[in-house]
Amino acid sequence: MFSDLYGNLLVAFALLIISAVVAPFLATKRTLAGWLNFLMVAAASVIMLGIGYETVFGGNSLPSKLIAFGPVKIYFLLDSFAGFFAGVIGFMAIMSAFYSIAYMEHYPDYRLRSYYANFPIFIAGMFGIVTVDDLSVGFTIAWQMMTIASFFLVRFEYKKAENVRNANKYLVLMEIAWALILAGTVFISNFGIGDSVHELAAKLGATTGAAPYIVYALIFLGFAFKAGVFPLGQLWLPDAHSIAPSPISALLSGVMIKTGIYGIIRTFFWMVPHTETFHFDGTLWGAIIASIGVVTLFMGTAQSMKQSDAKRLLAYSSIGQIGYITMAVGAALFMFSSNNEFLKLVSLVAIIGAVYHILNHAVFKGLLFLSSGSVLYATGTKDLNRLGGLITIMPVTAVIAGVASLSISGVPGFSGFASKWTIVSSSLLAGSDVLFLVIFGIVALFTSALTLSCYVKFFGMTFTSTGTEWTVQKDIKEVPAIMLAPKIVLTALCLVQGLIPFFYYQAIIGIMQSAKGSIMFEAFRSVDFDNFILSTAMGVSVGVPGIKGLTLAAAFPVIVLAVFAGAFAIAALLRRSGGSEEKLTTTWLCGYQELSNNNRYKDKNMFAALKNVLRWTGGNVKD
Amino acid sequence: MEIAAIIINVTLFLALAPLFEGVIRKITARVQSRQGPPVYQPYLDLLKLLGKQNLVKGNWAFSAAPAIALASIITAIAFVPLGYKATFLTGYADVITVIYLLTLGGVAVLIGALASKNTYAVIGASREMITIIMVEPVLAMTFIMGAVKVKSLGLDASVFSIAVSGYSWSVAVMLAAFLLALQAFVARQPFDIAEAEVEILEGPFIEYSGPNYALFKYYMMLKQMFYAALFVTMFVPFLRTGYYFADLGIQLAEIFGVFVLISLIGSTNPRFRIDQAVRYYAALIVLSLAAVGLSVYGL
Repeated sequence: MFSDLYGNLLVAFALLIISAVVAPFLATKRTLAGWLNFLMVAAASVIMLGIGYETVFGGNSLPSKLIAFGPVKIYFLLDSFAGFFAGVIGFMAIMSAFYSIAYMEHYPDYRLRSYYANFPIFIAGMFGIVTVDDLSVGFTIAWQMMTIASFFLVRFEYKKAENVRNANKYLVLMEIAWALILAGTVFISNFGIGDSVHELAAKLGATTGAAPYIVYALIFLGFAFKAGVFPLGQLWLPDAHSIAPSPISALLSGVMIKTGIYGIIRTFFWMVPHTETFHFDGTLWGAIIASIGVVTLFMGTAQSMKQSDAKRLLAYSSIGQIGYITMAVGAALFMFSSNNEFLKLVSLVAIIGAVYHILNHAVFKGLLFLSSGSVLYATGTKDLNRLGGLITIMPVTAVIAGVASLSISGVPGFSGFASKWTIVSSSLLAGSDVLFLVIFGIVALFTSALTLSCYVKFFGMTFTSTGTEWTVQKDIKEVPAIMLAPKIVLTALCLVQGLIPFFYYQAIIGIMQSAKGSIMFEAFRSVDFDNFILSTAMGVSVGVPGIKGLTLAAAFPVIVLAVFAGAFAIAALLRRSGGSEEKLTTTWLCGYQELSNNNRYKDKNMFAALKNVLRWTGGNVKD
Repeated sequence: MEIAAIIINVTLFLALAPLFEGVIRKITARVQSRQGPPVYQPYLDLLKLLGKQNLVKGNWAFSAAPAIALASIITAIAFVPLGYKATFLTGYADVITVIYLLTLGGVAVLIGALASKNTYAVIGASREMITIIMVEPVLAMTFIMGAVKVKSLGLDASVFSIAVSGYSWSVAVMLAAFLLALQAFVARQPFDIAEAEVEILEGPFIEYSGPNYALFKYYMMLKQMFYAALFVTMFVPFLRTGYYFADLGIQLAEIFGVFVLISLIGSTNPRFRIDQAVRYYAALIVLSLAAVGLSVYGL
């Protein structure tokens, strides 16, 4: 069974569906149901990770295959690109399922029957989206599984009327997105239900007139809706992601919205015919997608900075990060479709950055949602105006959230830096020939400072600063080890992805080299990456003698960190050189007699001047 | 030699940064018709602080912050060329790395402020973050303008781009933007909004004392000198002899000139409010964006 990847895929689906049927019956025994759900999801996800490994590293990138389910025949595709996404989804599903076991304990008022019925279906739906190879039957089934199951998960706290309203909105908007995509395919001439994407591309090539533009526009809109691109994402994403239970938020933000990106990349890099009647205009679509991406990344992050609800902050920030990915995808498409050899090379760097950021964002955003879930679990609030001072009470969660915050802010040596660096530097380099791309790069760089402010706020107001309610009462404690475990795994991964980006670059290059049918397939095969792209095109050429392939990208985070460690040692020595002794003191309360929430500096006042300047970007929080 | 350059750079910065701080204090005093402390006063201040009792707040973020701030600026110094000579490390970083490293220093100040739990410190942190967000793009675009000129994001390529290409319209505009942003880069009046001694009592540093405070002080001094040196290296690269030590001397003299400018502006201008400053920074961003635009068209 292990050699037949398509067989494995079906086994994974079967496991998830069995779990969805069995686990609800055990839901009265909450922990047991949690463990069962975890084991089944983990078993299915391990299979999917195996598929990911085989397709990405094992050289087993398969062509698409028609699988019959009774009368219904569906095309599936397990190439390296699909395998990569399946692997990411599988990994995050394991983390989230494990975290759920203990986390769901803090909802004593809610039964878990619906939760454990829908969790595996949601996962199966996401696996389906990235493995089906059509835009009609299989796509619809997968999309509906993902959407309807996640609707019930988002609606979990149904006793609050507001949550139900937001969940309903989420369901309606996702159905609209689905309808947009289906409507798009109808404009393809001779479109047949159940056609594989390959066949659709061929038929699209025979379509004439304005129809192809409508097709691309509608499909893009549908997937952009799912991905949370501005302004569509703002309609549903912050509401849905902030009300769902935290392990679900981690999945929604970490991986579900990436299925939208998957769809966009599949559409614009695979479904692009060049025939006599129709010539796909990559520069046009690339410019459009990149422009939408840059607006998204700025708007999402600016709105994120204004939030005082920790989970809303994270959700808006997801929109911002999706913007980075969208911008890189669009820029890559634009540059690759130009006639400039230099730009074509840079475009390969851009797409590597986009795929890398998909992985990085899945890990650190998942981690951030789990951390904020832990805070919610321990303190019962996610309001940054009330939180604070948890660094001494929840030390492990504080360190974990710190690493995740540094990663997403793009501090050198952490994972977000590696991918943002790739994205920003590719658009800056392209700037020597295309003005708008250098401006996009500058906006992206400026926005990463905004991202930093979001997470200084998130970390600062949660863990440092003063939280009056618990520093006085002291009856809260760190979350149990079972909830820390998945976060520690993710933290380690965050660090690894930041320290050895070269390994991931290689893997992503491998993915693009073996995923047949993309417009970049030939380009990725013909370029000598070791000697060109990652060394000279980045503007810095450093080779480590004797080690082929270990160029700058691999060497530099380690070197920067090593220098930093040396400098840190100097600083620490200097601090001790005077032989002064330490003394623990209390904070001066600026004249107040005792600390209360009324005389501390609240989160809503943070960056007030900047919020005023950015009022026009929307997403403002009323007092 | 290139490895020695790292040590020379770092040593020069560590040794001279307090002196330049003293120069600022002396000139400021003279402008205000005071006698002023001797120019070596900052050295004495640092030594005194290192020996004093270290008051801490019982969380690791509070204690780690000063060391991170100082370490990040020293790391940046190790990568950036001084005396028109690339160090051994220059090739291992690009402009984006250096921008992020400089930001990290500011972030350490912020985290330290938040970890100190003092309300004034948090007000200062909020202002510091706004300043970072609004001023960092000017620095970034200075590098990017160079990068666009030479089609490379390499640190040396970008820093020496004006030395290669000579002055042009884009350089002139960017030079103006950099000079206008200089006081904000080095947190001097009229842009010492985050510290604002008479208003929020040194804001982020209010709870710091002894060695921790010394590290922050040192960080501020080094940062000042770093921006002055960067200005000289990038925008005034033509006074050079080709002899390394002579070039170092010339550059230090030029840095001294920049410090005179900083102290004259600082001592004659009242502090802006943060909302006024934000508008000012926004204008600077537009100005430097124009410079980058010009450079894309080869102007």
